[in-house]
Amino acid sequence: MKENLEERERDFESNDLRIGVYVCHCGKNIGGTVRCEEVAEFAKDLPGVALAADSLYMCSEPGQEQIKSDIKEHQLNRVVVASCTPRLHEPTFRAACESAGLNQYLMEMANIREHCSWVHLHDKDSATEKAKDLVAMSVSRVSRLVPQHELTVPVARKALVIGGGVAGIQSALDMADAGYKVYLVEKSGSIGGRMAQIDKTFPTMDCSICILAPKMSEVGRHPNIELLTLADVQDVSGHVGNFRVKVLKKARYVSDECTSCGDCVDPCPQLVPDEFEAGLSFRKAIHIPFPQAVPSKFRIDMENCLNKEGIVACDKCYRACEHKCIHFGDRDETIDLEVGTIVVATGVDVFDPRGLTEFGYARFPNVITTLEFERLINAGGPTSGELIRPSNRLRPKKIAFIQCIGSRSKRSNPYCSNVCCMNTIKDSLLIKEHWPDTEITVFYIDIRAFGKGFEDLFNRSRREGVSYIRGIPGEIVEDLETKDLTLIGENTLLGRRYRHHADMVILSVGIKPSTNTGGVQRLLNLSTDIDGFYMEAHPKLRPVDTTTGGVFLAGTAEGPKDIKDSVTQASAAASRANILMSKGEVQIPAITAKIDADKCNACGLCARVCPYHAIVGSKEQGYYRVIEAMCQGCGACVPECKFGALDQTHFTNDQIVSQLDQALAHDPNNKILAFACNWCSYAGADFAGVSRMQYPHNVRIIRTMCSGRVSPKWIERAFLKGVGAVLVSGCHLADCHYNHANQQTVKRLERFWKRMERNGINKDRLRLAWISAAEGAQFAQVIHDMAAGLTKITPAEISQTIERLEKIAKKKGSLT
Amino acid sequence: MTDMVVRTGLSRKDIYECYQCARCTGSCPALEVRPDAYGPRETILRWLDQGRDKLTRDKHIWLCCTCNVCEERCPQMLPISDLLTDLRNLAARRGNIPDRLAAAIRLLAVTGRTMIVHQLDEMRAHHGLEPLPPAAAEEVRAILKETGLDEVIEF
Repeated sequence: MKENLEERERDFESNDLRIGVYVCHCGKNIGGTVRCEEVAEFAKDLPGVALAADSLYMCSEPGQEQIKSDIKEHQLNRVVVASCTPRLHEPTFRAACESAGLNQYLMEMANIREHCSWVHLHDKDSATEKAKDLVAMSVSRVSRLVPQHELTVPVARKALVIGGGVAGIQSALDMADAGYKVYLVEKSGSIGGRMAQIDKTFPTMDCSICILAPKMSEVGRHPNIELLTLADVQDVSGHVGNFRVKVLKKARYVSDECTSCGDCVDPCPQLVPDEFEAGLSFRKAIHIPFPQAVPSKFRIDMENCLNKEGIVACDKCYRACEHKCIHFGDRDETIDLEVGTIVVATGVDVFDPRGLTEFGYARFPNVITTLEFERLINAGGPTSGELIRPSNRLRPKKIAFIQCIGSRSKRSNPYCSNVCCMNTIKDSLLIKEHWPDTEITVFYIDIRAFGKGFEDLFNRSRREGVSYIRGIPGEIVEDLETKDLTLIGENTLLGRRYRHHADMVILSVGIKPSTNTGGVQRLLNLSTDIDGFYMEAHPKLRPVDTTTGGVFLAGTAEGPKDIKDSVTQASAAASRANILMSKGEVQIPAITAKIDADKCNACGLCARVCPYHAIVGSKEQGYYRVIEAMCQGCGACVPECKFGALDQTHFTNDQIVSQLDQALAHDPNNKILAFACNWCSYAGADFAGVSRMQYPHNVRIIRTMCSGRVSPKWIERAFLKGVGAVLVSGCHLADCHYNHANQQTVKRLERFWKRMERNGINKDRLRLAWISAAEGAQFAQVIHDMAAGLTKITPAEISQTIERLEKIAKKKGSLT
Repeated sequence: MTDMVVRTGLSRKDIYECYQCARCTGSCPALEVRPDAYGPRETILRWLDQGRDKLTRDKHIWLCCTCNVCEERCPQMLPISDLLTDLRNLAARRGNIPDRLAAAIRLLAVTGRTMIVHQLDEMRAHHGLEPLPPAAAEEVRAILKETGLDEVIEF
């Protein structure tokens, strides 16, 4: 494979370059600012250019046809399209080249719209000069590109679903129905998740377990689903199409022969608060989570069993069991799985309001949470559906709900939990349905009834006489004798204070990422957003994909959502996974890192920074190598190599240095060289363009996949060339698309600054900025600031820098 | 308790996150005794909607007792007490200090005490007690000057 590639590279070197350059007017979008004919004329004289033309719309059918026919007619072996951002039309022009027999990796785009004409609307001369620079940079880069062939890896037609809530259930069923083997891993004793705990669903008021139970049993008996309960994913290795997963299946102490007759329960002497009932009642150490549980089998909670020390101190359940299903000697086991795709559906936990002491939860018996309420009003719950006040077990007559507990607050979770408003509205109707004389007041900030049928339910609740008061109480006071509660607050719509008396207060608690999110996140190399939920690959267009290939998100693990949205997303995730499994193979973009084994010194530094553990090898072996299918192409490893053994395909040092040299060919002192990562900062600069945010024209942007690819050597070279200032920009630290690869950027730049300082070079000339794809204004501002800073840097200072760097180069070889 | 240093020069960006949940109002002891007071929520709303300048001319801002409970409970962690202090400092500098408060400060500056005590001395004598030792008015004045109060109130 490697030899072939080198042969191909040689072939192309020996061939004369025949580059076609196309300058697009994009109607007036580019043509209104940049003199496109002049740019095309300029391109004709660039080395290797066989043909240069300007056209009104390159992306149109005739535009593409022109490229295709020119490739054939003029034997073009490289193409440069100077038009919009490659993030928009790169696939279009790549396909056009490929269909004319030119390898798609030999096409390069110069972004003269988002990064030029749109941001320098009022300076036609400078914009035209900049467009020429950008075209020259692209021509220089394209002449160094080599054909690439994307690696095809097989996809195992098996899937792993982590989490057995409604989202996990739906994903598992969808994939199993499509004919693929599915392993469903659930940490508790039964699938069902939060939905199984809820009494009714909104807005339809369906009985929650009644609609869920059929799906649960379908999972239980599906021939393609292997259900692993009491199980935890311990380790994941491999890559898209071929993951190796270690699952720890904890001992159940009850064998599969269990008929769930329940004879073992009565004799068991050990009482434990029942998690499923939100702690409102007790269960035994031997128990089934709830009557509809799947698998419908008892288990012993060994933590609370008298035999937990490994000595059989009590065998009452064993003696009661007719089928002799109980085995105290049962042991945990590790199961190895091989799967092609993974769906993460780890769900949410409920906010614990104990920290908000002013509401008295856990101090005042009659202050409960909405989850506790769900169990209290459920016919299968601890009170058989009788709503009672915990203090005296009488029915409450005056009930108050308080909204946004643990949501929309910097003291707890800053986001809106999405489900609590509708849940309260539904709860209020449930109470009214059973006991219409109950007086219900809801204290809220905003009622967010945004979904289908939601507003209608809200109206129904008010029609039934539920009062809604805008204003959250400041505190709750309890009457020591009666245990009645007084809520003190302000009705903000009337601007009047209230002292509201209630028998019972229900805190509408929010939801937060599941506690085991961190573990799964590490195992699968996922990112989480600022709120702790898993981050999707793209918030709009790839909402269930993750940045790790072959791993998809379903349900609340990705963000707060209701049952319907969870199910929708679960089906979407299954469908995305099904596409991979149905195709049976996947193409890996040819932008992976590669190691020249002959030059490799086996130091292993690259392996240490790889966020995907895609580099393997050892000192003994004498070299390291990149597992191409695991490499995501960030390039963060490349600058780590001191021996020149590492490079990134399609983003080679040579290619980028050639862009850099072109960018600084003229008037470098007044230029800002900006490195921008593909996912955030380059897109942020695109967004500045789309928003027509004007900024100084003396910036030249070079795209890398990740800021972690930016080599300090490039920065040094830029300073040696006399650049005014250098910007390195990437995704915000928590948002890196390559799993924190940008931490390397920070490390390297800090080292570089130190060296600049030590050698008397003005540190301010190198700037690091985190700019997200949405922060066009931020990008423009950074360029404004840097351009302003540039005016203070004298040519003398720049030549002094060059002298110093040259001196160091003579002495030590390099600053880096 | 948040930072003991009072923040000054607060602007819209320090309080725009207020979504008027009114937990502060429900926690306000000043409102217990003066129902006509604005309460923290309304003060913030007026600040945001009508601007700071109008509030500096408003007598209601002087009813806050800076007990900090609103700030303790504010879900958005807004610096409500500091906001009120900042606002009143500004109001005072613009000469909008309530007369009774100004009189009280003058009394403190002149006598070193917060109350008029000459009758108290007679009472003490009646009960056979020593007269009160002289208050450290000079020291108190120095402290008041340190805070810049002398620029606002003549004493």
